[in-house]
Amino acid sequence: MIELKNVTCRFGTSVAVDRISLTIETGEVCVLVGSSGCGKSTTLRMVNRLLPLSAGEILVDGENITTMNPEQLRLNMGYVIQGTGLFPHWTVARNVAMVPELLKWPRQRIDERVQELLTLLGLDPAIHAEKYPQQLSGGQAQRVGVARALAADPNILLMDEPFGALDAITRENLQLEMLRIQRQVRKTTVFVTHDIDEALKLATRIAVMDQGRIIQHDTPENILRRPASDFVESLVGKQDRGLKLMSLRRVGDLMQRYPQAAIPEPGEEGVQEDDSLRLALSVMLWQDSGELPVFNGDGAKTGVVTRERIFQAGA
Amino acid sequence: MRAWLPPLMLATLLCGLSAGMSVLEPLYEWVQPDKQQVIYERESFLSLLQNHILLVLISACIGTLVAVAGGIFATRPSGRDFLPLVSQIASIGQTFPPVAVLALAVPVLGFGEAPILLALILYGLLPILRNTLAGLQGVDATVKQAALGMGMSPLRVLLQVELPLAGRVIVAGIRTSVTINIATAAIGSTIGARTLGDPVVAGLVNGNTAYVLQGAILIGLLALTVDSLFEAAESRASAI
Amino acid sequence: MSSTWSTSDLSPPNRVVSVLALSALVLVWVLNLGTILPNRIVPGTGHGLLSAIGWPGAMLVTAALSGCLLIALLPLRFRYVSLLILVSASLATLPLLLEVFAARHLPENSPYARSSIGSGFWCLLFFLSLMLIEIFGRLGSGRGLQLIVVAVICGSWVWLFQGDGLESLSLVREFNARPDKFEQALWTHLALALGAVTISAGLAFVLALQMIRSVAWRRPVLSVVSFLQTIPSLAVFGLLIAPLSALVEAYPVLQALGIRGIGWAPAMLALVAYSLLPMVRNTYVALTEVPESLADAGRGMGMNERQLFFRLKLPLALPVIVEGVRITTIQAIGLTAVAALIGAGGFGSFIFQGLGQAAMDLVLLGALPTIALALLADALLSMLAASLRPTPATA
Repeated sequence: MIELKNVTCRFGTSVAVDRISLTIETGEVCVLVGSSGCGKSTTLRMVNRLLPLSAGEILVDGENITTMNPEQLRLNMGYVIQGTGLFPHWTVARNVAMVPELLKWPRQRIDERVQELLTLLGLDPAIHAEKYPQQLSGGQAQRVGVARALAADPNILLMDEPFGALDAITRENLQLEMLRIQRQVRKTTVFVTHDIDEALKLATRIAVMDQGRIIQHDTPENILRRPASDFVESLVGKQDRGLKLMSLRRVGDLMQRYPQAAIPEPGEEGVQEDDSLRLALSVMLWQDSGELPVFNGDGAKTGVVTRERIFQAGA
Repeated sequence: MRAWLPPLMLATLLCGLSAGMSVLEPLYEWVQPDKQQVIYERESFLSLLQNHILLVLISACIGTLVAVAGGIFATRPSGRDFLPLVSQIASIGQTFPPVAVLALAVPVLGFGEAPILLALILYGLLPILRNTLAGLQGVDATVKQAALGMGMSPLRVLLQVELPLAGRVIVAGIRTSVTINIATAAIGSTIGARTLGDPVVAGLVNGNTAYVLQGAILIGLLALTVDSLFEAAESRASAI
Repeated sequence: MSSTWSTSDLSPPNRVVSVLALSALVLVWVLNLGTILPNRIVPGTGHGLLSAIGWPGAMLVTAALSGCLLIALLPLRFRYVSLLILVSASLATLPLLLEVFAARHLPENSPYARSSIGSGFWCLLFFLSLMLIEIFGRLGSGRGLQLIVVAVICGSWVWLFQGDGLESLSLVREFNARPDKFEQALWTHLALALGAVTISAGLAFVLALQMIRSVAWRRPVLSVVSFLQTIPSLAVFGLLIAPLSALVEAYPVLQALGIRGIGWAPAMLALVAYSLLPMVRNTYVALTEVPESLADAGRGMGMNERQLFFRLKLPLALPVIVEGVRITTIQAIGLTAVAALIGAGGFGSFIFQGLGQAAMDLVLLGALPTIALALLADALLSMLAASLRPTPATA
């Protein structure tokens, strides 16, 4: 658990972060979102003490971070930044092994961990381990960046616009990857982005920041339904909120389930339980149909979702 | 205007000392108490200074012309083939020590001003050539594309876009070249050129430290004057 | 497929090599290949290509150069490989021209007579070397091949110069007259230049670290070292004599250490002063140009400043620092030659002695090894810098 209490950061006379308080529960993904210069990166960098606090305090699992050794503190926090920050003179494997090496793990354990992490991030160790960062594509390099952050199995993950420099398709893939990994490892994550869609997709709770202050701290759904100010409203987009809300909800939550899963007819098209309502609606519009079959992960047909249900529950 | 003050003061000091070296006679007598004559009088300092400046100036002008022309040629489509060789020459040539180049010119041209002028030109054009290439290649390709796309002729692109953008780098090359050449010209008095190195060499040969000191002071002042001139010119250019 | 194969395999004609070969061909016929001197000082009589080595030799030289010209222009399959073989063979056997020349023209019974290298020979050497550089560039060959070719050429030269055929060459005579002095000059030269580089490297490292640590040091240090670089070498050597003499007079203990107003002490001082600018600048720039985002990533992962310096900044900066060492070493080798004027010894003493005695081949005996040392230092340190760059440049 990370607690920020009246945290302030000043650079000379200008105030970058102004008396913010925020509690991030263990295992949740808290996304700080806002336009550039709003203080979201500054806030993140205070958590691992890359920047000093001007006032207030930050507690990690109840302990004040200013009393801790900064290196020790950071060794227990994974840190991912935009443009990866991979060391260009080290191979992928050595980059991932960085924190375990700092922690003086035995060689064998480090090697195993590197293999495991590269595999977890969808990179074949046999192909990629001995490459240098410049030889990777942007998406691959960022995967390595995430692997490096996870290497020593830290409790906390700090991510500073990690996917900001990637193209739309690669970013989408990495976001899905993030969700998958987060389901597996459950890290307390602070994630900074300026992209509200990314925030809505990844967050358990979102903190909207503007001019050094937190305007609203709530779940994605509440941020969409009850924006606290005009600023938040314009950030989430007033007009297409309906669709955004739908993209938050799973088909599986709204479908009518069959008592027993059936075997789909060949060529039958539908949606997955994990797909969003927004996708289901889009498929319905495209196929001009009122209801769609729903399949589970194994490909079995578990029920149907209808246009009426979506419209009733959607907004 | 303030920028021109240091070169002006240094130049005044240089000319003043060249004309009236005897002002410092007590200093030289202290340095070299056992010698009858403490002021170098085989030739007037002013004429040595004039000759030194002339050598450097001529070599800088010819060197700049040749190097810039060569640099432009090697970066045009018609001269592209020569680019790798020219840039290799510019960088390998600079590994040759200036003294050695000076020494090599003598067997070919004999003693006197001719070999030193040749050596100064040849050696001096290398840094200019290198910087011309770097400057011209450093011009953003999109800027050139834009200029061509707007209908500028390649010659206009060269004169109005590439050379102005590369100008600062080229001038830095000329500055390096002139600094080196002032030093090399001083050494040139060992091969019979009349420069401010004469008193130094004569003093070293005769064991007269006063001569050495006079030559060294004037050479140092000349170098500082010219360098501050470049400094002033560059700060003016950047102020625009 | 097969028809496109044969055309795509042909590289376009090379204008550079053909221009170089043509220039060499013209110059080698116009200029004197060598000179016969009755003794050490008297200017001799020059011999053009034909007179120097006779019809067979002149035809052979012409054939080799025309061969380069043709291979460069004709549509050939292995253009650059054939050019490489032809040019390096020509370079390797170049001293044979001097041998033939001496054998044909040196009078039998005059022990002082000697042969000297003419401008035609130098031109041939120069243009062949340029062709070799161009061919290396076009072949895109790695350092391995270049090293082998250069080693073969140098080996062949050493072998030819050790034989008797070139004994009459005045350069060789000058060397044979003073092999001990030559060796001593070599060691003095190396000791002065490398000593200055080592001392200034240490100083520069400390200065650069201090500049990084404290902003107040930055401008003063950079202005002082670039001021030192601006003053011409002869002036610095000259200006150091008086203060050092005075110092030695005041503290006789210094004299016991071998320090005097002239000699190695002022030379070393001046060389160190000169070496500081490239060293300090490269070290400082290299260490500060490590991107802050990388340092941040390292810090964010829990590295302390020491680990950050030794694991990230120093390895990334090392190639640039070595580049500074390369520039400094080349410069120091050249300036050490000038330092001979104040009695520091080294190859410069041959140059200035030769100039004083108007013995041109003694000048060459000083100048050529100085150049060779500089080129060698350049090659070695460039290779070191390249090997320190552990990462491939591009994806």
